[in-house]
Amino acid sequence: MNRREAVKTATVLIGGVLVTSNGFLVACARDSNRSTGKVLSVDDQSLIEEIADTLLPTTPSSPGAKAAGAGAAINLLLTDCYEPDAQQRVVNGLNEFRKSCRDRCGNDFASLPQKDREQVLRDLDAEAQKAGPTHYLGLVRELSLQAYFSSEIGMTKALRYVMVPGKWVGCVPLAPGQPAWA
Amino acid sequence: MLSHVAATECARIFSGVTPQATTFDAIVVGSGISGGWAAKELCEKGLKTLVLERGRNVVHIKDYPTMNLNPWELPHRGAMSRQQLKENPLISKAAGYGEDTAHFFVKDRDHPYVQEKPFDWIRGYQVGGKSIIWGRACQRWSKYEFTAPERQGYGINWPIGYDDVAPWYTHVERFIGVCGKADGLEAMPDGEYLPPFDFNCVEKHLSDSVRAHYGNRYVVQGRWAHLSQPKEIHLQQGRGTCQARNLCMRGCPYGGYFSSNASTLPWAAKTGNLTIRPDSVVHSVIYDEAKGKATGVRVIDAHTHAITEYHSRIVFMNASALNTNLILLNSKSKRFPNGLGNDNGLMGKYVCHHNYRTGGSGKIAGFEDKYFYIRNPTECILVNFRNLGKQEMDFVGGYTTFTGAYRERGEPTTAREGGAYKDALSHPGPWGIYMYMQGETIPREENHVRLHESEKDQWGIPRLVTSVGYDDNSEKMIRDWRTEAKAMLEVAGCHDVQTHDNHQAPGLDIHEMGGVRMGSDPKTSLLNKWNQLHACPNVFVTDGACMTSTGNQSPSILYMALTARAVNHAADEMARQNL
Repeated sequence: MNRREAVKTATVLIGGVLVTSNGFLVACARDSNRSTGKVLSVDDQSLIEEIADTLLPTTPSSPGAKAAGAGAAINLLLTDCYEPDAQQRVVNGLNEFRKSCRDRCGNDFASLPQKDREQVLRDLDAEAQKAGPTHYLGLVRELSLQAYFSSEIGMTKALRYVMVPGKWVGCVPLAPGQPAWA
Repeated sequence: MLSHVAATECARIFSGVTPQATTFDAIVVGSGISGGWAAKELCEKGLKTLVLERGRNVVHIKDYPTMNLNPWELPHRGAMSRQQLKENPLISKAAGYGEDTAHFFVKDRDHPYVQEKPFDWIRGYQVGGKSIIWGRACQRWSKYEFTAPERQGYGINWPIGYDDVAPWYTHVERFIGVCGKADGLEAMPDGEYLPPFDFNCVEKHLSDSVRAHYGNRYVVQGRWAHLSQPKEIHLQQGRGTCQARNLCMRGCPYGGYFSSNASTLPWAAKTGNLTIRPDSVVHSVIYDEAKGKATGVRVIDAHTHAITEYHSRIVFMNASALNTNLILLNSKSKRFPNGLGNDNGLMGKYVCHHNYRTGGSGKIAGFEDKYFYIRNPTECILVNFRNLGKQEMDFVGGYTTFTGAYRERGEPTTAREGGAYKDALSHPGPWGIYMYMQGETIPREENHVRLHESEKDQWGIPRLVTSVGYDDNSEKMIRDWRTEAKAMLEVAGCHDVQTHDNHQAPGLDIHEMGGVRMGSDPKTSLLNKWNQLHACPNVFVTDGACMTSTGNQSPSILYMALTARAVNHAADEMARQNL
């Protein structure tokens, strides 16, 4: 098997991106934050993971975005797969989000109870829907869903992924509450 | 385990040892779907065969690095990185191209060509060629597809008809394994099939509704090169039952679908008659003026650029449709200053393709309590019903439609965050039906490829110029398909029906054909009815370049059948000392 080789390749790729991303972060002068070597600093990655986990929290049926490690995955996807203007929109958006949260709630988003965090996102979503597709929440939502539903937890605990089904059956009843195939 | 034995055998033969011999009975240029078949048939006839492949070696199983990776184990979970897309704007458009399969497609920068008109030339340079990443649809041509071009005045006659090819279709189907149902339809003759993959509940409904409404339109189960239930001949190849993973284009560890790598090449190797040489870029076919025939090929090593000449009694050109054109056009001699066998100046002309520009979809209610068990590697086929045996439309030619029903992920919810949102997104959503067209295009002289006058590739071979476009016939066909697809989706009870024209360039269909077409008359064609160059009969062309017209069926299995038929003829003629 070449799984190890594939992992090695991934590390090299990420290593390759490290350099560029560092440059980008320096250019953004976000030096008050510890760098992750990617577009989002440690603080930003942690904040976006809190947002993802509010969108997609742990429920009786499956663990949420935080348990799935969505923050790191979002940072990787944003850094490697998104255009610089989208990256900038997310970074600026998170700053704005952090500030408005402190102004409105007098507290950090992460320290609010889930119910209040959901309310913050509901309010923000109403704003975003008014503002249209350029609002950063659309991107944050897209990244959160992408990162969660492509994670091992998302694909196997929320959805059902079977690598080797063994057979195809065309028409079967849907059991009550049955999750979707990943 | 059989597959292990085959893999080991392969590894030994493909280990990259430079063959000492430079003289063989037969040379095959290309190791893709038709080259693999040429190799198998030639080796089985006892002929010492050299297969030349311009790309790297790919050994079944051993060289499928992503075949067993879960989606979350891929570096970007299957998404392409910005850098990869930026470096490969062209090839990344290809169907099936992704983070898990990109290593089986060329990189744009390595193989430039000149697009006089937009043409997406999709290539997979490795042992096995594009047979690793092909679509796997295996319908037979109807008798009408062979005769319509001449009868309706949009092409020359095919020198062969359905009856000439039918036994060779059978020969190929038995060996590669094709699933499907014998539907008894004139537009798509039955072959020898393994059990078909089921319809899902909505596909069955679509098939029933369309049949009931129109009477003569048929949505049938896919005829696909999958071992739904392998037979002894497949087990002997070391291949096993398709596991319905639908991860085919990564290479299949079970050999569940047909590829050169899993099937024909190791089979040929087992005869002891096969030598395969990867990293061998064929520059030209060598023509001996004194002997009046081809004597071999000139090869440039892909890495060292060293030139070697290999010799043989016959040469099979299976380099892929456009590369076969390129090599033959580049095979210049005193006798053939414009390319080997190109006395009439038509080589490179009448290049055609399949029209894949249009598709459509709709949503359908009433099946919410139905689901399916996971992944179907095949698609349903809506059999051609246009201009079948008679001219009835304002365009010529027919179209095959591929179709299927799917369930989206995510049930409708008003929640936009929180547990209810996540749980809704985790459940099956609405059903939908999609359709897309595979339309015949007309062979036209102005649609051509040629050698660039000055620009060369990294091996000093002239770059190919592509000049292939759509015509008014294609536009009319697209309009008709959109009207009919919308009507059929509505007949099935779909709502929110839409159709589109994506205006994609020719080539992206990956069904480019022609340029070295077959025909009865050497004045208007390049190849005779046995796929031999009229003017140089020990050179055979049996890949997509040989096509006289495109028909509306998926072409790969026809290339395989024509190859087996041509090899049989070649071996007979060699035995009679005629070649």
